[in-house]
Parts: sequence; C-alpha cells; structure tokens
Amino acid sequence: MNGFNRSRLVIAGVTCFAFITLTLVFFALLGKPPFEMLAKLAIFAVGDAYSISQTLAKTTPILLCALAAAVPGRLGLISVGAEGQLYAGAIAGTAAVLAAPALPGILLVPFMLMSAALGGAAYGYVPGLLRARLNINETIITLVLNYVSVLLVNALVFGPWKDPDSQGWPATISFPQGAILPALPGTRIHLGLLLAVALAIGLHLFFTKSRMAPKIQILAGNRKVGEMFGLNFGFWVIALMALGGAIAGIAGIAEVSAIQGRLQPTISLGYGLTGFLVAWLSRHQPLIILPVALLVGGVVAGSDALQLYAKVPAASAVILQGLLFATALAVPGIMKNMRFGLER
Amino acid sequence: MTAPIVQFDGVSRRFGELLAVDDANLEIYPGEVLAVLGENGAGKSTLMKMLYGIHPPSTGRILIDEKPSTIEGPADAMSNGIGMVFQHFSQLPALSVYDNLLLAWPQTPFWTGRRNPRIAPALQTLSRLAPEVNPRAKLAELSVGEQQLVELCKVLNISARIVIFDEPTSVLTPAEARSLHGFIRQLAEDGAAVILITHKLADVEACADRIAVMRRGGIVDISQRGDREMSEIVSLMMGKEVKRTLSAPKPLKRRVQQLFIDKVCAEAPGAALHDISLTIARGEVVGIAGVAGNGQTLLAEVVAGIHPVTSGDVVLDGGSIARFAENDTLATSLGYIPEQPRQNAVVDGMTLARNLNLRALAKGARSDEVNPEDLLRRFNVNPPEPDRLAGTLSGGNLQKLVSARELGSFRSGILACYPTMGLDLAAIEMVYGEIFAQAEAGAAVLWISEDLDDLLVAAHRIAVLREGRLVAIKTNDGTLSRDEIGALMTGLNTSEAAA
Repeated sequence: MNGFNRSRLVIAGVTCFAFITLTLVFFALLGKPPFEMLAKLAIFAVGDAYSISQTLAKTTPILLCALAAAVPGRLGLISVGAEGQLYAGAIAGTAAVLAAPALPGILLVPFMLMSAALGGAAYGYVPGLLRARLNINETIITLVLNYVSVLLVNALVFGPWKDPDSQGWPATISFPQGAILPALPGTRIHLGLLLAVALAIGLHLFFTKSRMAPKIQILAGNRKVGEMFGLNFGFWVIALMALGGAIAGIAGIAEVSAIQGRLQPTISLGYGLTGFLVAWLSRHQPLIILPVALLVGGVVAGSDALQLYAKVPAASAVILQGLLFATALAVPGIMKNMRFGLER
Repeated sequence: MTAPIVQFDGVSRRFGELLAVDDANLEIYPGEVLAVLGENGAGKSTLMKMLYGIHPPSTGRILIDEKPSTIEGPADAMSNGIGMVFQHFSQLPALSVYDNLLLAWPQTPFWTGRRNPRIAPALQTLSRLAPEVNPRAKLAELSVGEQQLVELCKVLNISARIVIFDEPTSVLTPAEARSLHGFIRQLAEDGAAVILITHKLADVEACADRIAVMRRGGIVDISQRGDREMSEIVSLMMGKEVKRTLSAPKPLKRRVQQLFIDKVCAEAPGAALHDISLTIARGEVVGIAGVAGNGQTLLAEVVAGIHPVTSGDVVLDGGSIARFAENDTLATSLGYIPEQPRQNAVVDGMTLARNLNLRALAKGARSDEVNPEDLLRRFNVNPPEPDRLAGTLSGGNLQKLVSARELGSFRSGILACYPTMGLDLAAIEMVYGEIFAQAEAGAAVLWISEDLDDLLVAAHRIAVLREGRLVAIKTNDGTLSRDEIGALMTGLNTSEAAA
C-alpha cells in the first residue's frame, strides 16, 4: 500500500515538474523572462489576500461544475453539459428573483438557489431521460444542449428581461440586495464556495458510505449484473443526470448573483468544460476534485491577472490551462507505459 | 531423430509474486504434435507466449534452431515462422474473410483489387482448408468453427514452421473439433511443429504424438502417446487420483412442479424464441441441448428475467419471474450461472467478497449475506483472498466465483449455462456436485450445456433447442443415444430420430 502511494506521489511530482517546465518554455517563447513570469503567476494566484480571494472566486464555479460532471460520471456516464446546466440554473434562478424581487434576503436566497437547482436539474433530466429510455448518447445531447441555454440567456436579456433603463446594454435589472449571495466583506468569496465544499464532502459520503453507493458501483461496473439483481439502470441515469444538473445550476446562479449582480450574456468563462476536465482528472472522486479545482482556479485567476499587469496576450490564460490539463492527462499515462516497459 | 526446432532451457517466468512457469525444459521437433496438457493456470499459455515473444522469460533461455531466440514480439515471431491461434481470436468481425486474411498477410500488395494476381496465394490456403467458406462473407456471419479456420489460415499464410494452438476446441462443436484434429495432424505431416495447448483429454487422444503435462508452472511429465494410460496422465495433471464420478441426482419421490416456462416468445438481435413451454419439477434436472447459436443465450436471459418476453410467462414457486418490459425492475430469485461470467456475472472493479454479496448490496443491505472466506474455500477459488478485485481473477476462477455466489445457499430454481466452461476436471466435478446437491435438496434445475455426454449421464430429461424452438423433450431413461440427440440438434433425419 505504501509503495502504491509513493508511486502516486512520484507521478504527481513529475506532472507538476512537466507543467512548470512547459510553462517556462511558453513564457520564453513569448519573449518574457520565464522565471520572473512564473513567480508573478504564483503571486497573482496566492500572493496576497486579494489574489487569494480572486482564486477562490474562480474555484467556486469550477468546483461546482466538476462535481456536476462527476455525479453522472460515477455511473460511467460522460456528461459535458455542465456549461448548459449552469446557464439553465442562471435563468431559473433569475426568474425567481424577477418574480419576487421584494422578498427579504433570508427567503429570497433559498428560493433563488432552489429554483436554480431545479432549472439545472431539468436541464440534466432531459438528456438523462433520453439515455435511459431511448438509449441516446448522453454526451452528444449534453454537448448540443449547451448551445441552447447559452443562446436562451441571450434571447432573454436582449428581449423580455432587458432592463428598460440600461440603454441598450443587454442585461436584466441589477439584483436587489436581498438576492445577492452573502460574501466575506471586501472579497469575492461568497456563500457558493461554502455550498460547493459542503456538496463535495456530502457527495463523497454519498458515493462511499451510503446504502446507495454499492448500487451505483454495481451498475457502473456491469449493468447486466445490476439489472439481474433488481437495480434499475434507467432510474439511476435520470437521477444522477438531474442531480449533476442541479449542482451546475447552483454554480450558474452563484455567478450571476454574487459576481455579476445581474443576468447578462457571458456568465461563464468555460467553467463547464473546465469542470468536466477537473472531474475527469480526479476520476470523479469529490475529495480529489477539491484540491484539483483549487489548483485550476489558481491558474485561471493568476493568468488573468498576468494578462492585465504583465502584458502577455489574452490567450495566455487559456494556453496555460491547456498545458495544465495536457500534462496532467499525458504524464501519468506515459509513466505507466514506461513502467510496463521496464517490467518486461 | 532430427534436431529440435525449439528448446526451452530452464525457462522461468515470474509475474510479481506469482511464479507462472518454473524451470521448464522442453524440446519440440518438426513434424510432431506436442500436446501441452494442464489445468487452468498451470502455466501452459504463459510458456507458449514466451516462445511467441509476448512475455520474455525471467530466467533461462529459448533456443530456436539451436540458436538463442531473439524474438521480441508477435510480429517478430511471425516473421520467424511462428504462428499462434489464440483462444480468443484476433479478428475484425465487420470485415470480410478476404480482408481479414489480407490484413494479416505480410506480402499483401498495396492494391488489393479482386483481380490482382498477387493476392491469390493468400486465398489458396482458405480454399484448401475450408472450401465451403465464402471469402466475401463478413466474418461475423461465420460460425465459431469457421472463424477459427480463418484464424488458422492466417497462420498458415505466413508459412509457419511452428504453430501454436491455444485451447482450440473450447469453442467448437464436436464435429468442428474432429475436423480441426484432422487439420492439426495434416500440419504435422507437412513438417511443421505443432503445439497444442489444451486441458481436454479428447484433444490429446485424437491427435497428439507426445504429451507434456504441466502442473503449477512446472513440466511434470513428458511421454509418447500410448506410453501412459489416460488415467495416469489425468492424475499427473491433477496431482491426485481423480475419478469421474458424475451421476444424476436422485429424483425426489413426490413430483411437484416448480418452474414453469409457459409459451414464451422473445426476440433479440439475431435470435428469437418461439413458443417455448417446459415445466420442471422439484429435484429435477432438465438439460437443454443444441448447437451454439440456436437461441440458448436468449432463452437463458429470458428465464433469468434479464431480457423481456414478448408473450408468455416464467413462473417459479407460484410467482412470475419474467420481465415484461425493458424498464421493469426485477431481481431474479433463480440461482443463475450465465455464460461468459466476466461479461455477464461479475463486477470487475469490486472485491471478491463484494461480488459474492451482490444480492445483499443491490438490496441496500448493510451486512453481508454470506461469509466470503468460507465460500471461496468451498468453491476452490484461487487465490482465496476476499479483498482481491474480481477483475484480476483468471476465467476459470471467475466461473468458480460465480458458482459460489449462485450455488452457495439454497435456491428453489437454478439456471446454469455452460457452467463448466473453461474449468479443469476437479472444478467440473465440484460445480456439478454443487448443482446436483441443490437438486437433491429440492431445486428445479435448467441446465444448458454443449456436452452431450454429461447431459446423457446426469440430466433427467433432455430438451433440444433448434432455431429458437424446443423441437423435442426426451426423458433420459438410459435408451437415449448421442446420435439421436445429435440428429435432433441438427435437424437431419428428424422423422427417423423421433420415431
């Protein structure tokens, strides 16, 4: 067991080393002093209170979207719909706020969150139902549905939900104070982060300790065997797809309420797909998703700031993320193959 | 005698803790058929995979033509004239026979149009070996026996001097096996060295010249055929004297009907069942005989409640156990041993203990239903480690694991599909013993088998399944013959056989 853990540590170490090396090469190619830029990236990610607040603000939607992808992933489903479910949750949550803007915060925030979760869940339910009853590939459906809800937000904020006083700016009215998620004063760390961490721990317990855990594991491992012993694959497909959707929906309304303060076209900077990759890297294990989402959140926040203050091109943030995911996926695979080679 | 074409010189192979092959010394000569005989996991396949270059030996060396082997992989082995026919074929079922042959042939020209004269040699072997096979047919349309012949053609096309067969008859019907034995003899007479890995004595009796017996990784005996009695070879293989003591369970005194299959119709891609009716009493063993692919798999899945019926019903102990729609939730109360346990009966990523407790886990129970240690020991699952992942077990041991789960406690109905497939003799005895003990305790047993001899010895009645219909249900009163059942299975001379 000990040796097993050590080999994992070695893999993680080599992965980090490869990522840092590639990042240095990237900065060098940009014609910037590589080590200085790397140091700046780290400082912009975790260097002071403001940076940490930025990192955690980016971590929150990534963490929620990763959990949203991991939940159906436990059953072996590949859902790439967190982005669309995030937007669906934002729409449903905003609808709740627009319907009852005068409610006090203590009522409005739960109402808004619940509505967003239901909106996201409905958006996960549809591909779940199609998969369960008609055996239609959930990956394709979730992928194409992403575009629908993103464009639906556009239709709403350019159309019926547009703030008449905004003079052409496509957005809803600013959320009333009661609809803003409480945050740590002076920072962008909001209730959503607490919710996300609690969800990660709750899901970990659900997937490892509950009576449902073995059922999901059996169906994921061998559907035929599960059905032989009276488990209903279709039920679990729908349930887990909807649960994942609900989590992504919360990510959506959290961004709208706590970060943007109103519904407008660009809520998410690809958090859905980033979350999918985080979930995949963490093998759908909520407790591993926690640190991985934090790491990715740091890279996103750090490279955003780098782009502002160090005059690197705007694409750098995406390139750095890409390098991180590519090394994290490739290095363990390469090392495993090398080990098999040695064993021969 | 001529010089050996292959020599194993003190060869060992270790996989982590496991010593799969232990100091093997063996010579193989051209023009002979050498049978390598042993139980599951005795190291037969590993030994030959070392020759084929899949695993290099841990210690010792392999000599080919009296020079140390430099083979580093299957491609290398093929160019050195070594071919291997695997237990699970490496073919592309969606392509035609012709494409499969050309893909595996090193001399295939760039242009493989039908008229290109340079592709003719690749097809000649096929027309010699199996003239009835249409090279334009998709491989998936061929029977398993024909697919194996295509696999053999691929090996012959590389003009192999050494041909290795890995358990070639385990998927074949008796007739297909007989013709394969003929091909194997022919190969040896043409001067090739043929190595036949098997655990079936019938293969050895039919075509081996020499017999090497392996047990627990070591070669324990090499003899010319005829030098030793078969019983002697069996005891060498098993390490202890084993008598084949298969006998039918005693029928119960009072006949109480227990398992009803009532006018069942069902459809699945490539198979259909028409109006199947069969009633099995307490303590009765009913065998289903039939050529593979006549609806056995579908029948099993319908009775086990996995595949929905289109009409009809299956009733056990007075309650329906059939599935009527794809989305029904249904836990079968049968003890069900499906074919191909790795695909159909276990969860690879779970431990042996959890696999034995799947029924309880699926119900959401907190505590274990059964004691895994006892079951693993009773059913001889090797290694008997409850915390090991099921995916790491060999095929034979998985089969034993499934038997342990399904037969470990009393069931009122049992459905066993090829329950001894891939098992060695000791394990076969054990599994049959457990099934028949259940029958004597009052279970109704439906037993789908391809082994007519076993069915004739141990089943109370034998039903014959052909093209999705039960064409006959015969009481096994001692007057039934192999030929009679065989005729019913193939549909030839039905009137004569039925008379």
